[in-house]
Amino acid sequence: MTLPTRRDEAWRYADIDAVARLWPLAAPTRINVAAGDAAARHLIVDAAQGATEIRQFAINLDKGAKFDFHVLALGGAYGRIELDVILHEGADFNLGGVILGNDDQILEIVTTVNHVEPGATSNQTIRAVMADKATGTYLGKVAVARGAQHTDSVQSFKAMLLGRAATANAKPELEIYADDVKCAHGAAIGELDAMGLFYLESRGLTPADAKRLMLQAFVAGVFDGAEAEEALQAAALAKLGELV
Amino acid sequence: MLNINNLHTAIGDKEILKGLSLKINAGEIHAIMGPNGAGKSTLTYTLGGRPGYEVTSGAVEFDGQDLLALAPHERAAAGLFLGFQYPVEIPGVSNVQFLREALNAQRKLRGEAPLSGGEFLKVARAQADAMGMNMDMLKRPVNVGFSGGEKKRNEMVQMGILDPKLAILDETDSGLDIDALRVVGEGINRVMRKPDKAVLLITHYQRLLDYVQPDFVHVLAAGRIVKSGGPELALELEREGYAEIAA
Amino acid sequence: MTNIADTKNAEALAAANKVSDYEWGFSSDIEQEFAPKGLSEDTVRFISAKKNEPEWMLDWRLKAYRYWLTMETPHWAKLNIPPIDYQDAYYYAAPKAKKQLGSLDEVDPEILRVYEKLGIPLEEQKMLAGVEGARKVAVDAVFDSVSVATTFRKELEEAGVIFRSISEAIREYPEQVKKWLGKVVPMHDNYFAALNCAVFSDGTFVYIPEGVRCPMELSTYFRINAENTGQFERTLIVADKGSYVSYLEGCTAPMRDENQLHAAVVELVILDDAEIKYSTVQNWYPGDAEGKGGIYNFVTKRALCQGKNSKVSWTQVETGSAVTWKYPSCVLNGENSVGEFYSVAVTNNHQQADTGTKMIHNGKNSRSTIVSKGISAGKSNGTYRGLVKVAANADGVRNFTQCDSLLLGDQCGAHTVPYIEVKNPTAQIEHEATTSKISDDQLFYAMQRGLDQESAVALIVNGFAKEVLQQLPMEFAVEAQKLLGISLEGSVG
Repeated sequence: MTLPTRRDEAWRYADIDAVARLWPLAAPTRINVAAGDAAARHLIVDAAQGATEIRQFAINLDKGAKFDFHVLALGGAYGRIELDVILHEGADFNLGGVILGNDDQILEIVTTVNHVEPGATSNQTIRAVMADKATGTYLGKVAVARGAQHTDSVQSFKAMLLGRAATANAKPELEIYADDVKCAHGAAIGELDAMGLFYLESRGLTPADAKRLMLQAFVAGVFDGAEAEEALQAAALAKLGELV
Repeated sequence: MLNINNLHTAIGDKEILKGLSLKINAGEIHAIMGPNGAGKSTLTYTLGGRPGYEVTSGAVEFDGQDLLALAPHERAAAGLFLGFQYPVEIPGVSNVQFLREALNAQRKLRGEAPLSGGEFLKVARAQADAMGMNMDMLKRPVNVGFSGGEKKRNEMVQMGILDPKLAILDETDSGLDIDALRVVGEGINRVMRKPDKAVLLITHYQRLLDYVQPDFVHVLAAGRIVKSGGPELALELEREGYAEIAA
Repeated sequence: MTNIADTKNAEALAAANKVSDYEWGFSSDIEQEFAPKGLSEDTVRFISAKKNEPEWMLDWRLKAYRYWLTMETPHWAKLNIPPIDYQDAYYYAAPKAKKQLGSLDEVDPEILRVYEKLGIPLEEQKMLAGVEGARKVAVDAVFDSVSVATTFRKELEEAGVIFRSISEAIREYPEQVKKWLGKVVPMHDNYFAALNCAVFSDGTFVYIPEGVRCPMELSTYFRINAENTGQFERTLIVADKGSYVSYLEGCTAPMRDENQLHAAVVELVILDDAEIKYSTVQNWYPGDAEGKGGIYNFVTKRALCQGKNSKVSWTQVETGSAVTWKYPSCVLNGENSVGEFYSVAVTNNHQQADTGTKMIHNGKNSRSTIVSKGISAGKSNGTYRGLVKVAANADGVRNFTQCDSLLLGDQCGAHTVPYIEVKNPTAQIEHEATTSKISDDQLFYAMQRGLDQESAVALIVNGFAKEVLQQLPMEFAVEAQKLLGISLEGSVG
């Protein structure tokens, strides 16, 4: 395996120097959910300050299998969570991801969700809040193979930038070779809703508290019902406190 | 309690309020009526301190303080409550969490001790019950998925919990059916009709005034108060229309 | 050169016949001058000399050519193209000559059928097909009479509008051209742009003076018939302060065209408070049902919104070509500048289209809107590829993107590749994409009300594309609607 460059689509916003320090990467973690089974996992990428952490997963969902994955990227100078998911007939994949970065952090979630057989569903919800000079990236590809009819796939990415020098990148990609499918993606990058902030402030919240509350709300829903929901929420809220 | 003197407000380059003056004493209920575009909502937002509503001249004194010098949350802590014509939906933030944070932030600014979770819930429950609002709704995200009537009712519950000195209620009656109108009217009377409080009702129609009897009625047209009188003025407006009175 | 011309003429014509999918043949007595086969500095010098170009223009072309030699063909598009042998082509030769036909009977009946469906008047059909002696009449058909066309030209001159072939403009208005040529799309921008810089054969130059609202919609439609624009077309439009122009490119009827490889460059410059509306209907030969033949269309189109409050609006209806590689883009440098991109791209049979836009927000409070409607049928593939980029200093930027795909049949592909890169916290960027098909219920409903299947499909597709079609100038919109239906014939049922 050769070290990727920024000309490789999946690495176009990566910190290649950081990647080089870990190269070659270990084989991806394999997760297989057998037919009809359900499983859930969670992951917090919280590398030490200045460190690099890359976590790659190859996930296979057999017929009718269900898998929920909740990920939180908040630590390290460069952090990357990469998922390659294969959905067989009627399988169901849910991803809830949150990226919270400050200082010079570069944090990424990269997913390829392959609907290879009919009737599978996937749902990806990613939220990012970037402060200071941090960069948050979501590269999400949904590929629907020829014949994978009745695929139902949703991708939603939203990012808030808090710092003048913060960056958000997104590429919500669809590759569709079947006609009877429902695929939708949405991406939004912006400021907190000014009217919402004013409403909160008009009830007595300080501007900082109003902002924090809105940001909590912005990310909180992602982890509803997650495995280790409390741990994920607590880690996210603690990091948010640093950001605001 | 509130003294507005020759207030001019512009949104961008456009002047909306053009020298509005109004005095409200404690214990009084005032109603401002006026046609669409007269500047009713602009007055509400100006008093609340919404960004983008620029006061180009004039002064507003609230309870001895220079209201215009305060940030929106400081105005709230000083005892000013805005009932929004279109209450804002805030996904992900529960009513309970929001109101407790808001109330405690106000108390902190006033130098009062914060309420504990239990204490707060007691207050919240009492107010919700009084407005006939289900506690479950209080736990739902702020205004998300609420009907128009439910949103207005929620505003009244919030007003009850925050217990302001002055409530400025912008078209609180719009979108309400007759039963909801009665409940909201009673809520306003119950919370606000007290010697140390005051209400400014901003409305297009007379119908809310059947439930909340104003002491004074003013007609707002083209950014100014063009006529003031007692409750009979509202009836007159209803009968003859704005064109006649404002002319 | 003449000697070469004599010996190579037959070869050129044979090559032209090969790339043409239409059985027109060439009469032996056509006298065409042409450059030697293949691409070299000599080819570039030949073209420049043919055009009587000044020295600076030749130098510019040569520089581009040398740069091109160092470049690679772009590989990132979702297109499957066999390698192109650039040495096995003519860059200035008979291949782009239109043969004069004796009558409409000699025209491919398939094309005539399309003309009929589009409701194009007979005389105009002759003109489009290149029938002998039809041109004058045809111009009349479009513009009522020759005198009208002349009146137009006079009216433009009175308004101070310069509307010339780019070759003329290089000779007559060298300073104007020099100032902006290659400034919006630099010669090193991409492989096809560099190629175009080196060998562009002709194109259009438009200058709208300060404060002038161009008195009519400018169209290549009537100029293209007088001057044969080539396969490497070059367009430069400059809208000076406070001016406005609407420019129509192309034609809803399929033009007879023998060139397989097209690599055009369009540059738009918009200064303070000016606006350009640029509408394209592209309906070149898409190849046959088996995917044989058809045009390769590699176009670089870009607008530079340099002035404050400047505005550009790209509207395109892309139904033709075997391969489309095209991203009309907006560089929004000016404060409060506005970029718009409205696109309908239809692919059928074996067509491939990779098209979209770039919105580069450098100016404060610049705004952009992207509406892309992709319709894929047969065994074709359609891709939307776009970039929305917000620079760190560009406060208050707004973008809204809507990307919808409609799939007809289970053998096609519809793809969406949007890039979003935001470096400013005050930006508000929204992107939405959906994928749908024509449901059996919709079809049945429309057919139950009396439409045949083709009309029902056309109706639904036009509804799907409505947001874009309504951006077109009226007379274009009506034909474009018909065209969508025709392009999708036989794709359902």
